[in-house]
Amino acid sequence: MDGTVIQQGKFTSDGSSKFLNIRSDVDWMEIINYTQSATTQTTGRGVMFRWQRGMADAAGIMYTKQDSANALDLEVITAGGFTLLDTSDKTLGALNATGSGVTAASPAVVSATSTAGLAAGDVVRMYNVAGMQQIAGMDFTLGTVTTNTSFQLVHLDASGFAAAGTTCSFRKVPFQPMFYPRARYITKVTKAASAVITLSVTHGYNVDDVVKFVVPSEFGMVELDGVQGKVTAISTANNTITVNVDSTAFTTFAFPTSAIAAAGVTFAQVIPVGSEGTNSVEAATDNVDYIGMSLGAGADAPAGSSSDVIYWRAGKSLIVDNE
Amino acid sequence: MNEAAQRLGVSLRQTEDELTRNMLASTASFINCTGGTNGDNPTNLTRTDVDEVIKTLADNNAYTIGQNIEGEDKFGTAPVRDAYFAMGSTKLIGDLEDVDGFIAKAQYPAPMNAMKPEWGSISNLRFLLSSIGSITSSGSALGNDVYNIFCVGMEAFAVVEQDGYSSQFIYRPPIYDGPLALNASVGYKFAQVPRITNDAWVINLRTTLA
Repeated sequence: MDGTVIQQGKFTSDGSSKFLNIRSDVDWMEIINYTQSATTQTTGRGVMFRWQRGMADAAGIMYTKQDSANALDLEVITAGGFTLLDTSDKTLGALNATGSGVTAASPAVVSATSTAGLAAGDVVRMYNVAGMQQIAGMDFTLGTVTTNTSFQLVHLDASGFAAAGTTCSFRKVPFQPMFYPRARYITKVTKAASAVITLSVTHGYNVDDVVKFVVPSEFGMVELDGVQGKVTAISTANNTITVNVDSTAFTTFAFPTSAIAAAGVTFAQVIPVGSEGTNSVEAATDNVDYIGMSLGAGADAPAGSSSDVIYWRAGKSLIVDNE
Repeated sequence: MNEAAQRLGVSLRQTEDELTRNMLASTASFINCTGGTNGDNPTNLTRTDVDEVIKTLADNNAYTIGQNIEGEDKFGTAPVRDAYFAMGSTKLIGDLEDVDGFIAKAQYPAPMNAMKPEWGSISNLRFLLSSIGSITSSGSALGNDVYNIFCVGMEAFAVVEQDGYSSQFIYRPPIYDGPLALNASVGYKFAQVPRITNDAWVINLRTTLA
Protein backbone atom coordinates (compact mmCIF):
# COMPACT_ATOMS: atom_id res chain seq x y z
CA MET A 1 0.00 0.00 0.00
CA ASP A 2 1.27 3.44 -0.81
CA GLY A 3 2.15 5.57 2.19
CA THR A 4 3.97 2.71 3.86
CA VAL A 5 7.66 1.95 3.78
CA ILE A 6 9.29 -1.27 4.88
CA GLN A 7 13.03 -1.58 5.24
CA GLN A 8 15.20 -4.42 6.39
CA GLY A 9 18.80 -5.27 7.00
CA LYS A 10 21.25 -7.14 9.16
CA PHE A 11 24.37 -6.43 11.14
CA THR A 12 26.83 -8.32 13.29
CA SER A 13 26.81 -7.13 16.87
CA ASP A 14 30.00 -5.82 18.42
CA GLY A 15 28.48 -6.10 21.87
CA SER A 16 27.70 -2.41 22.14
CA SER A 17 24.49 -0.51 21.50
CA LYS A 18 23.66 -0.05 17.83
CA PHE A 19 22.15 2.86 15.94
CA LEU A 20 20.25 2.21 12.72
CA ASN A 21 19.73 5.21 10.47
CA ILE A 22 16.21 4.93 9.04
CA ARG A 23 15.53 8.16 7.18
CA SER A 24 11.94 7.32 6.27
CA ASP A 25 11.12 7.32 10.00
CA VAL A 26 9.76 4.24 11.67
CA ASP A 27 6.48 3.22 13.33
CA TRP A 28 7.30 -0.40 14.11
CA MET A 29 10.34 -2.64 14.25
CA GLU A 30 11.19 -6.30 14.59
CA ILE A 31 14.55 -7.78 15.49
CA ILE A 32 15.69 -11.39 15.28
CA ASN A 33 18.94 -12.53 16.83
CA TYR A 34 19.74 -15.15 14.20
CA THR A 35 22.81 -16.48 15.96
CA GLN A 36 21.14 -17.07 19.30
CA SER A 37 17.97 -18.43 17.69
CA ALA A 38 20.05 -21.24 16.24
CA THR A 39 21.79 -21.99 19.52
CA THR A 40 20.65 -24.20 22.34
CA GLN A 41 20.59 -21.99 25.38
CA THR A 42 21.85 -22.99 28.76
CA THR A 43 19.90 -20.09 30.17
CA GLY A 44 17.03 -18.51 28.32
CA ARG A 45 17.79 -15.23 26.54
CA GLY A 46 16.15 -12.76 24.22
CA VAL A 47 16.12 -13.79 20.57
CA MET A 48 13.29 -11.73 19.10
CA PHE A 49 12.22 -8.17 19.88
CA ARG A 50 9.36 -5.93 18.80
CA TRP A 51 8.64 -2.26 19.11
CA GLN A 52 5.79 -0.01 18.05
CA ARG A 53 5.47 3.74 18.10
CA GLY A 54 3.97 4.83 21.38
CA MET A 55 6.20 2.67 23.59
CA ALA A 56 8.44 4.47 26.05
CA ASP A 57 12.12 5.10 25.35
CA ALA A 58 14.30 2.01 25.85
CA ALA A 59 11.21 -0.25 26.04
CA GLY A 60 10.02 -3.10 23.83
CA ILE A 61 8.63 -6.63 23.74
CA MET A 62 11.12 -9.47 24.11
CA TYR A 63 10.66 -13.11 23.13
CA THR A 64 12.98 -15.26 25.23
CA LYS A 65 14.11 -18.64 24.05
CA GLN A 66 13.60 -21.12 26.87
CA ASP A 67 16.42 -23.11 28.37
CA SER A 68 17.45 -25.94 26.06
CA ALA A 69 14.18 -25.84 24.15
CA ASN A 70 12.92 -24.40 20.90
CA ALA A 71 10.11 -22.46 22.55
CA LEU A 72 9.54 -18.82 23.31
CA ASP A 73 8.37 -16.85 26.31
CA LEU A 74 7.25 -13.27 26.02
CA GLU A 75 7.94 -10.36 28.31
CA VAL A 76 8.07 -6.57 28.33
CA ILE A 77 11.41 -4.88 28.69
CA THR A 78 11.65 -1.34 30.00
CA ALA A 79 15.39 -0.80 29.70
CA GLY A 80 17.95 -1.58 27.04
CA GLY A 81 15.35 -1.89 24.29
CA PHE A 82 14.39 0.49 21.49
CA THR A 83 14.81 4.28 21.53
CA LEU A 84 13.62 6.32 18.57
CA LEU A 85 15.96 9.23 17.84
CA ASP A 86 15.51 12.34 15.73
CA THR A 87 18.60 14.51 16.02
CA SER A 88 16.90 17.51 14.46
CA ASP A 89 15.23 17.93 17.85
CA LYS A 90 17.77 20.17 19.59
CA THR A 91 16.01 20.28 22.94
CA LEU A 92 18.60 20.46 25.70
CA GLY A 93 18.68 18.31 28.79
CA ALA A 94 17.20 19.51 32.07
CA LEU A 95 18.99 22.24 34.00
CA ASN A 96 21.33 20.70 36.57
CA ALA A 97 22.15 23.24 39.27
CA THR A 98 24.23 20.99 41.48
CA GLY A 99 27.62 22.29 40.32
CA SER A 100 29.73 23.41 43.26
CA GLY A 101 33.12 24.13 41.73
CA VAL A 102 35.30 24.23 38.64
CA THR A 103 39.03 23.73 39.12
CA ALA A 104 41.54 26.11 37.55
CA ALA A 105 43.48 23.15 36.21
CA SER A 106 44.14 21.19 33.04
CA PRO A 107 41.71 19.75 32.37
CA ALA A 108 39.17 21.69 34.37
CA VAL A 109 37.04 19.49 36.59
CA VAL A 110 33.48 20.35 37.60
CA SER A 111 32.25 19.12 40.97
CA ALA A 112 28.57 18.22 40.98
CA THR A 113 26.47 16.16 43.32
CA SER A 114 24.40 14.91 40.40
CA THR A 115 25.84 13.70 37.11
CA ALA A 116 22.63 11.97 36.05
CA GLY A 117 22.56 11.20 32.34
CA LEU A 118 26.18 12.21 31.72
CA ALA A 119 28.90 10.00 30.26
CA ALA A 120 32.35 10.57 28.81
CA GLY A 121 32.05 12.05 25.32
CA ASP A 122 28.79 13.86 26.06
CA VAL A 123 28.58 17.62 25.57
CA VAL A 124 27.39 20.02 28.29
CA ARG A 125 26.73 23.74 28.24
CA MET A 126 27.96 25.58 31.35
CA TYR A 127 26.01 28.41 32.98
CA ASN A 128 26.66 31.19 35.47
CA VAL A 129 29.97 29.84 36.74
CA ALA A 130 30.68 32.07 39.73
CA GLY A 131 34.31 33.15 39.61
CA MET A 132 34.82 31.67 36.12
CA GLN A 133 32.26 33.45 33.93
CA GLN A 134 34.63 33.22 30.96
CA ILE A 135 33.26 29.72 30.27
CA ALA A 136 29.60 30.50 30.99
CA GLY A 137 27.51 29.82 27.89
CA MET A 138 30.19 27.64 26.28
CA ASP A 139 29.82 23.98 25.31
CA PHE A 140 32.37 21.35 26.35
CA THR A 141 32.97 17.71 25.64
CA LEU A 142 33.28 15.65 28.80
CA GLY A 143 36.17 13.44 29.80
CA THR A 144 35.97 11.19 32.82
CA VAL A 145 32.67 11.29 34.67
CA THR A 146 32.76 10.21 38.32
CA THR A 147 29.18 9.41 39.21
CA ASN A 148 27.52 12.08 41.32
CA THR A 149 30.91 13.62 42.11
CA SER A 150 32.52 15.33 39.14
CA PHE A 151 33.20 15.45 35.41
CA GLN A 152 36.09 16.72 33.33
CA LEU A 153 35.85 19.51 30.77
CA VAL A 154 38.52 17.53 29.02
CA HIS A 155 39.52 20.09 26.39
CA LEU A 156 39.68 23.11 28.69
CA ASP A 157 43.06 24.06 30.13
CA ALA A 158 42.01 26.45 32.91
CA SER A 159 45.39 26.39 34.64
CA GLY A 160 46.02 29.99 33.59
CA PHE A 161 42.74 31.26 34.99
CA ALA A 162 42.99 33.63 37.95
CA ALA A 163 40.68 31.60 40.14
CA ALA A 164 38.61 28.47 40.33
CA GLY A 165 34.89 28.59 39.73
CA THR A 166 32.39 27.94 42.48
CA THR A 167 28.66 27.44 42.02
CA CYS A 168 27.50 26.68 38.48
CA SER A 169 24.79 25.01 36.44
CA PHE A 170 24.84 22.98 33.26
CA ARG A 171 22.68 21.22 30.71
CA LYS A 172 23.44 18.26 28.50
CA VAL A 173 23.51 19.12 24.79
CA PRO A 174 22.22 15.89 23.26
CA PHE A 175 22.67 16.70 19.58
CA GLN A 176 25.03 18.97 17.68
CA PRO A 177 24.05 21.61 15.08
CA MET A 178 22.65 20.19 11.87
CA PHE A 179 25.34 20.93 9.31
CA TYR A 180 28.91 19.63 9.22
CA PRO A 181 31.54 20.92 9.73
CA ARG A 182 30.47 23.23 12.52
CA ALA A 183 31.79 26.37 14.13
CA ARG A 184 33.63 25.55 17.35
CA TYR A 185 34.88 27.45 20.39
CA ILE A 186 38.64 27.84 20.87
CA THR A 187 40.09 27.05 24.31
CA LYS A 188 43.79 27.23 23.51
CA VAL A 189 46.20 28.30 20.75
CA THR A 190 49.91 27.58 20.79
CA LYS A 191 52.56 30.01 19.56
CA ALA A 192 54.31 27.89 16.97
CA ALA A 193 55.35 27.76 13.32
CA SER A 194 52.19 25.75 12.76
CA ALA A 195 49.67 26.86 15.36
CA VAL A 196 47.84 24.13 17.26
CA ILE A 197 44.29 25.04 18.25
CA THR A 198 42.29 23.21 20.91
CA LEU A 199 38.49 23.24 20.55
CA SER A 200 36.04 22.90 23.41
CA VAL A 201 33.84 20.30 21.69
CA THR A 202 34.93 17.33 19.57
CA HIS A 203 35.61 19.13 16.30
CA GLY A 204 35.15 16.58 13.54
CA TYR A 205 37.39 18.53 11.15
CA ASN A 206 39.55 16.79 8.59
CA VAL A 207 42.96 17.49 7.15
CA ASP A 208 42.61 19.92 4.21
CA ASP A 209 39.58 21.67 5.71
CA VAL A 210 39.94 25.43 5.47
CA VAL A 211 38.99 27.41 8.54
CA LYS A 212 38.82 31.03 9.62
CA PHE A 213 39.49 32.34 13.12
CA VAL A 214 37.54 34.84 15.16
CA VAL A 215 39.60 36.02 18.13
CA PRO A 216 38.15 39.04 19.95
CA SER A 217 40.64 41.33 21.67
CA GLU A 218 39.62 40.00 25.10
CA PHE A 219 41.33 36.70 24.17
CA GLY A 220 44.72 38.24 23.48
CA MET A 221 45.85 36.76 20.19
CA VAL A 222 44.29 39.44 18.01
CA GLU A 223 46.76 38.73 15.19
CA LEU A 224 44.84 35.53 14.52
CA ASP A 225 41.50 37.31 14.18
CA GLY A 226 40.16 37.03 10.64
CA VAL A 227 43.04 34.84 9.50
CA GLN A 228 42.24 31.86 7.28
CA GLY A 229 44.24 28.65 7.47
CA LYS A 230 44.27 25.10 6.22
CA VAL A 231 44.14 22.16 8.61
CA THR A 232 47.37 20.20 8.18
CA ALA A 233 46.92 17.73 11.02
CA ILE A 234 44.34 16.76 13.61
CA SER A 235 44.46 15.02 16.95
CA THR A 236 41.32 13.27 18.03
CA ALA A 237 42.88 12.46 21.41
CA ASN A 238 43.59 16.11 22.22
CA ASN A 239 40.79 17.53 20.07
CA THR A 240 43.21 19.85 18.28
CA ILE A 241 43.78 21.03 14.76
CA THR A 242 47.15 22.10 13.42
CA VAL A 243 46.99 24.83 10.80
CA ASN A 244 49.42 26.41 8.39
CA VAL A 245 49.54 29.66 10.34
CA ASP A 246 52.76 30.81 12.01
CA SER A 247 51.71 32.20 15.39
CA THR A 248 55.22 32.40 16.84
CA ALA A 249 55.23 36.15 17.11
CA PHE A 250 51.56 36.51 18.03
CA THR A 251 50.26 37.77 21.36
CA THR A 252 49.60 34.91 23.77
CA PHE A 253 46.07 33.49 23.65
CA ALA A 254 44.35 33.76 27.02
CA PHE A 255 40.78 33.78 28.27
CA PRO A 256 39.54 37.10 29.66
CA THR A 257 38.99 37.42 33.40
CA SER A 258 35.71 36.37 34.90
CA ALA A 259 34.73 40.00 35.49
CA ILE A 260 35.41 41.01 31.90
CA ALA A 261 33.50 38.02 30.58
CA ALA A 262 30.55 38.77 32.84
CA ALA A 263 30.30 42.21 31.26
CA GLY A 264 29.85 40.55 27.86
CA VAL A 265 32.32 39.05 25.39
CA THR A 266 32.24 37.17 22.12
CA PHE A 267 33.96 33.80 22.34
CA ALA A 268 36.97 32.88 20.21
CA GLN A 269 35.80 30.66 17.34
CA VAL A 270 36.95 28.48 14.49
CA ILE A 271 34.70 28.84 11.46
CA PRO A 272 34.78 26.23 8.68
CA VAL A 273 34.80 28.02 5.35
CA GLY A 274 35.69 25.30 2.85
CA SER A 275 38.06 22.55 2.05
CA GLU A 276 40.76 21.49 -0.30
CA GLY A 277 41.83 18.10 -1.57
CA THR A 278 39.69 15.03 -1.21
CA ASN A 279 37.05 16.56 1.05
CA SER A 280 35.92 18.88 -1.77
CA VAL A 281 32.59 20.65 -1.45
CA GLU A 282 30.84 17.96 0.52
CA ALA A 283 32.66 18.76 3.74
CA ALA A 284 31.01 22.13 4.13
CA THR A 285 27.46 21.30 3.14
CA ASP A 286 26.66 18.08 4.90
CA ASN A 287 23.37 17.83 6.77
CA VAL A 288 24.24 15.14 9.30
CA ASP A 289 20.99 15.00 11.24
CA TYR A 290 19.20 11.69 11.18
CA ILE A 291 16.15 9.77 12.23
CA GLY A 292 16.66 6.25 13.41
CA MET A 293 16.53 3.65 16.13
CA SER A 294 18.98 3.11 18.94
CA LEU A 295 19.14 -0.52 20.07
CA GLY A 296 20.37 -1.57 23.47
CA ALA A 297 23.03 -4.28 23.70
CA GLY A 298 23.36 -7.41 25.81
CA ALA A 299 21.95 -10.92 26.18
CA ASP A 300 18.41 -9.62 26.62
CA ALA A 301 18.56 -6.65 24.30
CA PRO A 302 17.92 -6.15 20.58
CA ALA A 303 21.53 -5.37 19.58
CA GLY A 304 22.61 -8.70 21.12
CA SER A 305 26.05 -9.80 22.24
CA SER A 306 29.34 -9.65 20.42
CA SER A 307 29.36 -11.61 17.12
CA ASP A 308 25.59 -12.18 17.13
CA VAL A 309 24.09 -11.79 13.66
CA ILE A 310 21.02 -9.59 13.94
CA TYR A 311 18.29 -9.31 11.28
CA TRP A 312 15.91 -6.39 11.45
CA ARG A 313 12.77 -5.13 9.73
CA ALA A 314 11.26 -1.70 10.23
CA GLY A 315 8.18 -0.11 8.79
CA LYS A 316 6.34 3.14 8.39
CA SER A 317 2.60 2.74 8.62
CA LEU A 318 -0.05 4.51 6.60
CA ILE A 319 -1.93 5.35 9.79
CA VAL A 320 -0.84 5.29 13.42
CA ASP A 321 -3.78 5.40 15.82
CA ASN A 322 -2.41 5.54 19.35
CA GLU A 323 -5.35 6.50 21.54
CA MET B 1 -6.93 18.48 -2.75
CA ASN B 2 -6.52 22.22 -3.18
CA GLU B 3 -6.14 22.66 0.55
CA ALA B 4 -3.62 19.84 0.72
CA ALA B 5 -1.60 21.43 -2.06
CA GLN B 6 -1.64 24.79 -0.31
CA ARG B 7 -0.53 23.32 2.98
CA LEU B 8 2.20 21.27 1.38
CA GLY B 9 3.41 24.31 -0.52
CA VAL B 10 3.80 26.23 2.72
CA SER B 11 5.49 23.24 4.32
CA LEU B 12 7.93 22.93 1.41
CA ARG B 13 9.04 26.54 1.48
CA GLN B 14 9.18 26.64 5.26
CA THR B 15 11.33 23.51 5.31
CA GLU B 16 13.70 25.14 2.84
CA ASP B 17 13.89 28.18 5.12
CA GLU B 18 14.52 26.03 8.17
CA LEU B 19 17.34 24.15 6.49
CA THR B 20 18.99 27.38 5.41
CA ARG B 21 18.50 28.79 8.90
CA ASN B 22 20.09 25.70 10.45
CA MET B 23 23.01 25.85 8.05
CA LEU B 24 23.68 29.44 9.07
CA ALA B 25 23.36 28.53 12.74
CA SER B 26 25.83 25.66 12.33
CA THR B 27 28.62 27.46 10.58
CA ALA B 28 28.35 31.25 10.61
CA SER B 29 30.71 33.26 12.80
CA PHE B 30 29.02 35.25 15.52
CA ILE B 31 29.26 38.42 17.54
CA ASN B 32 27.68 38.56 20.96
CA CYS B 33 25.75 41.68 21.84
CA THR B 34 27.64 43.39 24.64
CA GLY B 35 26.10 46.86 24.76
CA GLY B 36 22.98 45.96 26.70
CA THR B 37 22.24 46.16 30.38
CA ASN B 38 20.45 42.90 31.15
CA GLY B 39 23.57 41.41 32.78
CA ASP B 40 23.73 38.39 30.49
CA ASN B 41 26.24 37.35 27.83
CA PRO B 42 25.15 38.07 25.15
CA THR B 43 23.24 41.12 26.34
CA ASN B 44 20.08 42.59 24.91
CA LEU B 45 20.37 44.35 21.55
CA THR B 46 21.61 47.94 21.40
CA ARG B 47 22.61 50.43 18.77
CA THR B 48 26.29 49.80 19.61
CA ASP B 49 25.89 46.14 18.61
CA VAL B 50 24.08 47.02 15.39
CA ASP B 51 26.83 49.48 14.51
CA GLU B 52 29.48 46.84 15.22
CA VAL B 53 27.90 44.39 12.79
CA ILE B 54 27.48 47.02 10.08
CA LYS B 55 31.07 48.12 10.53
CA THR B 56 32.33 44.54 10.32
CA LEU B 57 30.35 43.77 7.16
CA ALA B 58 31.46 47.03 5.58
CA ASP B 59 35.08 46.32 6.58
CA ASN B 60 34.75 42.97 4.83
CA ASN B 61 33.57 44.68 1.65
CA ALA B 62 30.10 43.18 1.76
CA TYR B 63 27.61 44.87 -0.54
CA THR B 64 24.32 46.02 0.90
CA ILE B 65 21.18 44.31 -0.41
CA GLY B 66 18.36 46.78 0.12
CA GLN B 67 18.27 50.00 -1.86
CA ASN B 68 17.93 53.26 0.02
CA ILE B 69 14.43 54.71 0.21
CA GLU B 70 14.59 58.39 -0.44
CA GLY B 71 13.06 60.79 2.05
CA GLU B 72 9.76 62.42 1.15
CA ASP B 73 7.70 65.25 2.51
CA LYS B 74 5.38 62.99 4.52
CA PHE B 75 4.58 63.42 8.20
CA GLY B 76 6.36 60.95 10.52
CA THR B 77 8.55 59.33 7.90
CA ALA B 78 12.30 59.12 7.59
CA PRO B 79 14.64 58.12 4.78
CA VAL B 80 15.91 54.54 4.90
CA ARG B 81 19.54 53.82 4.15
CA ASP B 82 20.74 51.17 1.78
CA ALA B 83 21.11 48.19 4.04
CA TYR B 84 22.29 44.72 4.85
CA PHE B 85 19.53 42.30 5.79
CA ALA B 86 19.15 40.95 9.32
CA MET B 87 17.00 37.83 9.70
CA GLY B 88 15.70 36.98 13.14
CA SER B 89 12.85 35.81 15.30
CA THR B 90 9.57 37.65 15.74
CA LYS B 91 10.21 37.43 19.49
CA LEU B 92 12.68 40.29 19.01
CA ILE B 93 9.97 42.76 18.08
CA GLY B 94 9.82 44.63 21.40
CA ASP B 95 13.57 44.82 21.81
CA LEU B 96 14.08 46.02 18.25
CA GLU B 97 11.73 48.91 18.71
CA ASP B 98 13.68 50.05 21.77
CA VAL B 99 16.95 50.39 19.89
CA ASP B 100 18.10 53.92 19.14
CA GLY B 101 17.40 54.88 15.56
CA PHE B 102 14.76 52.22 14.88
CA ILE B 103 12.51 53.14 11.95
CA ALA B 104 9.33 51.07 11.70
CA LYS B 105 8.21 49.90 8.27
CA ALA B 106 5.21 52.20 8.53
CA GLN B 107 7.61 55.13 8.79
CA TYR B 108 9.33 54.38 5.52
CA PRO B 109 8.59 57.09 2.96
CA ALA B 110 7.51 54.29 0.62
CA PRO B 111 6.47 51.25 2.69
CA MET B 112 5.55 49.41 -0.49
CA ASN B 113 9.29 49.05 -1.07
CA ALA B 114 9.60 46.98 2.08
CA MET B 115 9.21 43.24 2.10
CA LYS B 116 6.39 41.35 3.84
CA PRO B 117 8.46 40.07 6.78
CA GLU B 118 10.28 43.37 7.22
CA TRP B 119 9.73 44.98 10.60
CA GLY B 120 11.92 48.05 10.32
CA SER B 121 15.45 49.30 10.00
CA ILE B 122 18.26 50.54 12.20
CA SER B 123 21.03 52.42 10.48
CA ASN B 124 22.19 50.23 7.57
CA LEU B 125 20.45 47.09 8.77
CA ARG B 126 16.91 46.14 7.75
CA PHE B 127 15.26 43.51 9.94
CA LEU B 128 13.25 40.62 8.47
CA LEU B 129 11.47 38.66 11.17
CA SER B 130 9.90 35.22 11.13
CA SER B 131 8.21 32.93 13.62
CA ILE B 132 10.82 30.32 12.70
CA GLY B 133 13.76 32.66 13.29
CA SER B 134 16.78 30.97 14.80
CA ILE B 135 16.88 30.52 18.58
CA THR B 136 19.56 28.72 20.56
CA SER B 137 17.66 27.49 23.56
CA SER B 138 19.34 28.17 26.90
CA GLY B 139 22.41 29.43 25.10
CA SER B 140 23.46 32.44 27.17
CA ALA B 141 25.82 32.69 30.13
CA LEU B 142 22.83 32.83 32.46
CA GLY B 143 20.94 30.10 30.65
CA ASN B 144 18.48 32.26 28.74
CA ASP B 145 17.50 31.71 25.12
CA VAL B 146 19.81 33.31 22.59
CA TYR B 147 18.27 34.86 19.47
CA ASN B 148 20.44 34.50 16.39
CA ILE B 149 20.15 37.42 13.98
CA PHE B 150 21.82 36.51 10.70
CA CYS B 151 23.16 39.73 9.21
CA VAL B 152 24.06 39.23 5.58
CA GLY B 153 25.43 41.12 2.64
CA MET B 154 24.65 40.48 -0.98
CA GLU B 155 25.36 36.91 -2.18
CA ALA B 156 26.62 35.88 1.23
CA PHE B 157 24.90 32.51 0.98
CA ALA B 158 23.13 30.50 -1.65
CA VAL B 159 20.92 27.48 -2.14
CA VAL B 160 22.28 25.07 -4.73
CA GLU B 161 19.72 22.94 -6.53
CA GLN B 162 20.70 19.32 -6.98
CA ASP B 163 19.79 16.75 -9.62
CA GLY B 164 18.54 19.39 -11.99
CA TYR B 165 15.46 20.42 -10.11
CA SER B 166 14.41 22.61 -7.22
CA SER B 167 11.37 20.79 -5.91
CA GLN B 168 8.59 18.56 -7.10
CA PHE B 169 4.98 18.35 -6.03
CA ILE B 170 3.80 14.77 -6.37
CA TYR B 171 0.22 13.54 -6.69
CA ARG B 172 -0.82 9.92 -7.14
CA PRO B 173 -4.57 9.39 -7.63
CA PRO B 174 -6.29 6.52 -5.82
CA ILE B 175 -6.27 4.26 -8.84
CA TYR B 176 -2.52 3.81 -8.44
CA ASP B 177 -2.75 3.13 -4.74
CA GLY B 178 -4.51 -0.19 -4.47
CA PRO B 179 -7.13 -2.46 -6.02
CA LEU B 180 -9.97 -0.63 -4.28
CA ALA B 181 -8.61 2.85 -5.09
CA LEU B 182 -9.15 4.05 -1.56
CA ASN B 183 -6.22 6.34 -0.93
CA ALA B 184 -4.56 9.13 -2.86
CA SER B 185 -1.03 10.34 -2.16
CA VAL B 186 0.25 13.89 -2.24
CA GLY B 187 3.66 15.10 -1.21
CA TYR B 188 6.72 17.02 -2.20
CA LYS B 189 10.40 16.43 -2.45
CA PHE B 190 13.29 18.74 -3.05
CA ALA B 191 17.02 18.40 -3.45
CA GLN B 192 18.81 21.53 -2.36
CA VAL B 193 21.98 22.39 -0.49
CA PRO B 194 22.18 25.67 1.42
CA ARG B 195 25.69 27.01 1.65
CA ILE B 196 27.59 30.10 2.79
CA THR B 197 29.44 31.48 -0.21
CA ASN B 198 31.54 34.03 1.65
CA ASP B 199 31.83 33.71 5.39
CA ALA B 200 33.02 37.31 5.76
CA TRP B 201 29.63 38.52 4.57
CA VAL B 202 27.56 36.64 7.15
CA ILE B 203 27.56 37.48 10.83
CA ASN B 204 25.34 35.94 13.43
CA LEU B 205 24.50 38.71 15.89
CA ARG B 206 23.56 36.84 19.07
CA THR B 207 21.30 38.56 21.57
CA THR B 208 19.12 37.87 24.58
CA LEU B 209 15.91 39.67 25.41
CA ALA B 210 15.94 42.74 27.64
